[in-house]
Amino acid sequence: MTKSIDTGRCVHPGAEMYAREHLAGKLSRREFLTRATALGVTAAGAYALIGAPQPAQAQQTPVQGGTLRIQTSVKAMKEPRAFDWSEVGNQGRGFLEYLVEYQRDGSFRGMLLESWEANEDATQYVLNVRPGATWNNGDPFTAEDVARNIRGWCDTSMEDNSMAARMTGLIDPETGQAREGSVEVIDDLTVRLNLASPDISVIANMSDYPAAITHSSYDGGDLYDHGIGTGPFRPVEIEVGVRAVIERHPDHTWWGTEVYGGPYLDRIEFIDYGTDPASWLAAAESGEVDLLYESVGDFIDILDGIGWTRTETITAATLVFRTNQIAEVEGRVPYADVDVRKALALAVDNETVLELGYSDRGTVAENHHVCPIHPAYADIGPAPFDPDAAKEMMDATEFADFEHELITVDDEWERNSGAAVAAQIRDAGINVRHTVLPGATFWNDWTKYPFSATSWNHRPLGVQVMALAYRSGEAWNESAYASPEFDALMAEALSIADADARREVMAQIQQKMRDDAVIIQPYWRSLYNHHNGNVVNAEKHPSHEFHLYKFGFAS
Amino acid sequence: MALFILRRLGVMLLTVLCLTFIVFFLTNLQPNLEKLAKTQGNMRMTDEQVEIWLSNRGYDRPVFVRYGEWLGVLPGWVGETAQGDPVGRCIAEGMPPLAEGEAPPAFCGVLQGHWGYSTVFRAPVSEIIATRLGLTGILMFWVMVVMVPMALLIGVLAGMREGSRTDRSLSTVSIVSTATPEYVSGVILIAVFASSAVGLRWFNGTATSAMDDVTFRNFTLPVITIALYGMGYIARMTRASMTEVMTAQYIRTARLKGVSFRNIVMKHALRNALIAPFTVIMLQFPWLLNGVVIVETLFNYKGFGWTLVQAAGNNDIELLLAVSVVSVIVVLVTQLISDIGYVYLNPRIRIS
Repeated sequence: MTKSIDTGRCVHPGAEMYAREHLAGKLSRREFLTRATALGVTAAGAYALIGAPQPAQAQQTPVQGGTLRIQTSVKAMKEPRAFDWSEVGNQGRGFLEYLVEYQRDGSFRGMLLESWEANEDATQYVLNVRPGATWNNGDPFTAEDVARNIRGWCDTSMEDNSMAARMTGLIDPETGQAREGSVEVIDDLTVRLNLASPDISVIANMSDYPAAITHSSYDGGDLYDHGIGTGPFRPVEIEVGVRAVIERHPDHTWWGTEVYGGPYLDRIEFIDYGTDPASWLAAAESGEVDLLYESVGDFIDILDGIGWTRTETITAATLVFRTNQIAEVEGRVPYADVDVRKALALAVDNETVLELGYSDRGTVAENHHVCPIHPAYADIGPAPFDPDAAKEMMDATEFADFEHELITVDDEWERNSGAAVAAQIRDAGINVRHTVLPGATFWNDWTKYPFSATSWNHRPLGVQVMALAYRSGEAWNESAYASPEFDALMAEALSIADADARREVMAQIQQKMRDDAVIIQPYWRSLYNHHNGNVVNAEKHPSHEFHLYKFGFAS
Repeated sequence: MALFILRRLGVMLLTVLCLTFIVFFLTNLQPNLEKLAKTQGNMRMTDEQVEIWLSNRGYDRPVFVRYGEWLGVLPGWVGETAQGDPVGRCIAEGMPPLAEGEAPPAFCGVLQGHWGYSTVFRAPVSEIIATRLGLTGILMFWVMVVMVPMALLIGVLAGMREGSRTDRSLSTVSIVSTATPEYVSGVILIAVFASSAVGLRWFNGTATSAMDDVTFRNFTLPVITIALYGMGYIARMTRASMTEVMTAQYIRTARLKGVSFRNIVMKHALRNALIAPFTVIMLQFPWLLNGVVIVETLFNYKGFGWTLVQAAGNNDIELLLAVSVVSVIVVLVTQLISDIGYVYLNPRIRIS
């Protein structure tokens, strides 16, 4: 465990306040853990603050050795900052580590950082580097490595660097690089970040999959060829679309063995079975794999039926039906009109979509993209549903006879949810057509479809997705929502470290999202995976992460 | 004969040229290039980023020029990155490393032996084609081993006595098996023999592990799926040819002479009846290439058909071109062999 408690340094006052709130019943345990650990309190410390025993990490310590075969897509490795799939992150996770790791219970724990502290208004973070960590080529891992990677994340000149949007407080808007003095190396084991404005998501962002820490000799290209990392495994081979293999590094002493235990496996094979869940089932039934990346839809029950063990995690992963407010359809811009968007949202009952589209495997959402498990979630009540009002509202616009086209990808649950949404809009008396496109065609120009569905992964804090997805001009804003008021509210929310104070702003933001009918968001998904019963510590992670050093076999 | 083969080779070359140009043209349409940029760069790239990405990689020049470069009759393009490093077709990934101070070659197309670099698989195209074709070769070999003897047996048995009960039942079987496409029979076979739904679970419903190690358990279903479809067709051809032979004058003569039925079939009828099926079997090769696309995708066996699907789905230009070239060669070479073989089997036919 990290040392910030043991060495007698004081606990962040915010964390103590959260602890009081949790004990007073104002905060759930998950919310408390997410917030307290983001402020630099260790998971053990956080549990101690609320007088709860820390749950045992593993029910069972895995046996040493073995080859684990995992069904997952195998995608081409690229520069970590350009990672755009969780799977790519997982392929590198065995040898490339992260500064911070997000746990299944919603807390953060240090990996290459031993601990961290935030100042009271979250503008300054002190990062304590893990002592004793080394690269697998023998170089020591130092504060310089941390600083170099963080500066790299701030490089906006790299065309597909998605970390830059997560590190705005460190970037000088004029040069597009890290601001002078924003990343300070204090000594070999300490780095201090000085943010231009308060940002509460810095630590959470460091756990995101594009934030893998690379060696100074890495200069783009295939990470499997390069192979230098701090993790306990090393890459063996990768064949895109077929498989990737990593094995335990024979002559590298991994720092984590004495801190967290593991690794247990000798070799891990990621095997690609395509995108059809029926093939994953066939692989499971024939015993060609031990663990599935994710089980979806009806296959969850079928996999239960063949005797595989199911694991589940509740997440803020979701499917968002969004209109593109600047998209032209036959010379008109239907979704620039807020009433058109509102009418569509009014026509959809989210609970029905959850039931029909996702077999009730989740929780109903409220059209504003903030999840009850997010710390600063404000309860503004369920999304309104009134098909008659929807029809009336649509008829009052100039698009009364317009035929809407809802485009979804040919992916079991996205297709079914799209069908449920389209059917309800149709029931309300509004013209709509549901088009299902195969993956190869869909991704072609999916950000520009006038009315379509986007699947979002779970992120630990509510503000993270909002900042990425709905601020004006953001790269990932495919709704083309541009509202100065919303941007101002977001800027405010992102500077309030105290989640209770932030909740007031969040309530306004959530209401604004709903009033402007930016999205129809029917549900939050629970995620599942299955293993053959003999795999330990491989429970589904809310962000699809494989913490490979924890994985092992029961016997 | 030599002239005939030469002419055939000429036709083959022309077909390859036309086909590759069509494929090249279609894969280089603007929307396809955008898709390529997005899958290779980032799903969320903006239009400007896409344009920069394309021009940095030389995709923004006329399609004829680039086709010439791919062929190797025009010098490869050269350019500079934003950092001032030289880039170009002949210095791209997948080219052999240059010695210190050595200039990259001016031409690097198919004529020079450079098949290019796959954008999906991040590996040289020639390497991918070799591996994947090898895997499909293994599949085809086992399909032929199962399909040809079975088909001939059924055809001969059915054709021996036209109209008999054996003939009727075997003909029905072969018609049914030919009329069932692979994507139907494959799914049924998986459901019956590999899934818990029926509970037999004799075989694996996936052939992924067969890429490392072919076993009876993991390879039976894909082989049977393809073999069943092709078998019926060959059997029908064999039967037709067999019935025709069985009504010939020399068979009646042999019967009247008192030769046993067994000997008539084995010694007199069979050899003459096998000429037509030979052509059909040879023509099965190109068709098999087509059939493996479905079966390899269904069973996740990563051979040539699967590569074709991946290349087409991801607009992997150079890989798709190589796949087309290989397909054309396979089709035309097998036809050539079947034409030549026909002459040897049946001396009455002369080519020219």
